[in-house]
Amino acid sequence: MTVSRKKLTKQDITKMGLYSIIEQSCFNFERMQAAGFTLSMVPCFEKIYGDQKDEIAKAMVNNMDFINTEPHMATFLQGLVLSLEEAGEDRELIKNLKTGLFGPLAGLGDAIFWFTLLPISAAISCSISQQGSILGPLLYMAIWFVAAISRIWFGQIGYSLGVGAISKIRENANAITKAAGILGVMVVGGLIPSYIKLAFSSELKLWKVVSVQGIFDSILPNLLPLGFVFLLYYLLKKKNMNVIALIITIIVCSIGLSFFKLM
Amino acid sequence: MAVQQPKKKGEYKYMQISLIQGILLALMAFVAAVDQQWEAFFWFRPIVVAFFAGIILGNVQLGLQAGAVAELAYLGLLTVGGTVPPDPLIAGIMTTVIAYTTGQSAETALGLSLPFALLAQWVGIFFNSAYSGFMGPLDRAAEKADVKKFKFIVYSAIVIKATVVALIVFLSAYAMQAPISNFVSTFPVFLIHGFEIAGGLLPAVGLALLLRIMLKADNAAYLFIGFLMATYLKLGNVLPIAIAGIAVGYIGYMNDKHHAKLSVATEGGSEDDGI
Repeated sequence: MTVSRKKLTKQDITKMGLYSIIEQSCFNFERMQAAGFTLSMVPCFEKIYGDQKDEIAKAMVNNMDFINTEPHMATFLQGLVLSLEEAGEDRELIKNLKTGLFGPLAGLGDAIFWFTLLPISAAISCSISQQGSILGPLLYMAIWFVAAISRIWFGQIGYSLGVGAISKIRENANAITKAAGILGVMVVGGLIPSYIKLAFSSELKLWKVVSVQGIFDSILPNLLPLGFVFLLYYLLKKKNMNVIALIITIIVCSIGLSFFKLM
Repeated sequence: MAVQQPKKKGEYKYMQISLIQGILLALMAFVAAVDQQWEAFFWFRPIVVAFFAGIILGNVQLGLQAGAVAELAYLGLLTVGGTVPPDPLIAGIMTTVIAYTTGQSAETALGLSLPFALLAQWVGIFFNSAYSGFMGPLDRAAEKADVKKFKFIVYSAIVIKATVVALIVFLSAYAMQAPISNFVSTFPVFLIHGFEIAGGLLPAVGLALLLRIMLKADNAAYLFIGFLMATYLKLGNVLPIAIAGIAVGYIGYMNDKHHAKLSVATEGGSEDDGI
């Protein structure tokens, strides 16, 4: 796209990226993020079309369809929409691109922010908190402040790549998602021993001599927490058990274990 | 779990939440609720709200402990894909508040905070349904490019929801503190300890939920590597494992790119758009 209708500056896209923090305002089940997604682009629409109210209206209406993507990376799509809008592209094309891209982008963003950054930042910050230092929550807030500001950067990329964005996403989404998966799974593995407390009471002994927990520990320390996670995984994934039902079951079983003095 | 000498009945220290503390908690909840809607700065996560609740209640250490316990339990309960999980914001605040008013451990308080987190979850679902009704007026405002009206509707939505969350926090933390602590003080020791055990197990739900989405046949091996590192290496925190994970993930990423290039080359379909 080399149409010279350049009206938006780098600064406009930066502002849009910041404004896009409100992207999930008025979130609803009917069209999810449509309202906030549209609103955060409005200042740029106004700059592109000046006082042509009807064009601004058309651009706004064009973005009011169902959209649900990862909020940090929504700016990538918004940057893309703005670059096409500025170039005077056909609105049907813009709409189709947006509809085709928000899903894969959500997958990528979820893998990066929710399944990787969240467990890692939480694990590190919680271990600091548990040592009694206020650096725990402060570090957590610092990490997520940077993540929040990354919206600007995603917006710039989406805007400058324009249509080229699509092939970039297709090329990289799978490889990045897969790499993030490796990282995330490894961290989750590392969290199991530290944060799941599951061990039989030290007073629970077979024939009054052999400690039950001692048997498990001699096989593999933290075997019970590991097994427990896999049990829950099995119940959630293969048996499709409801999360709330699962949590309530755990509480009831814990009270039972406590009542019979097993733990 | 070794039985940690449970306190006997009557030994609990009742701590009262003052009206001003209640109002401050509600104000904090308002800000956090706006942030939760936006998923902007992650101030709505238990580790952050519990920390600030601890400051407001004058017991920062309690806030840190409660925040860490609740954060881990709510790790995998995510809003991914438009679903609404039990509410981490309310869980973080109420775990701190319940531990403070009843004198119980953070683990026990976490289990007891669950009803509040579920209540807030239903409130969230209610608003997500109700705000579907705002889309009609928003469509009409968009058609006329009436930006002022459009903004007004969008911002009202967020203010109304955050106000309701703040009210819930005020009522649960301030108005209901006496009933809650009286109720908990009637619990026998085994019940309190049961909630404590549950508090130690709930993080497993979060992790299992993460694995439900992340665990694939081709990355399952890394789970065991991470597990063994944490079990045998006595690391202070999980950062070294994360760095090792980045290294391994990078290797995987480079391999994938390499394979993708090779397969393109062998298919001969490349139009010289090399990276």
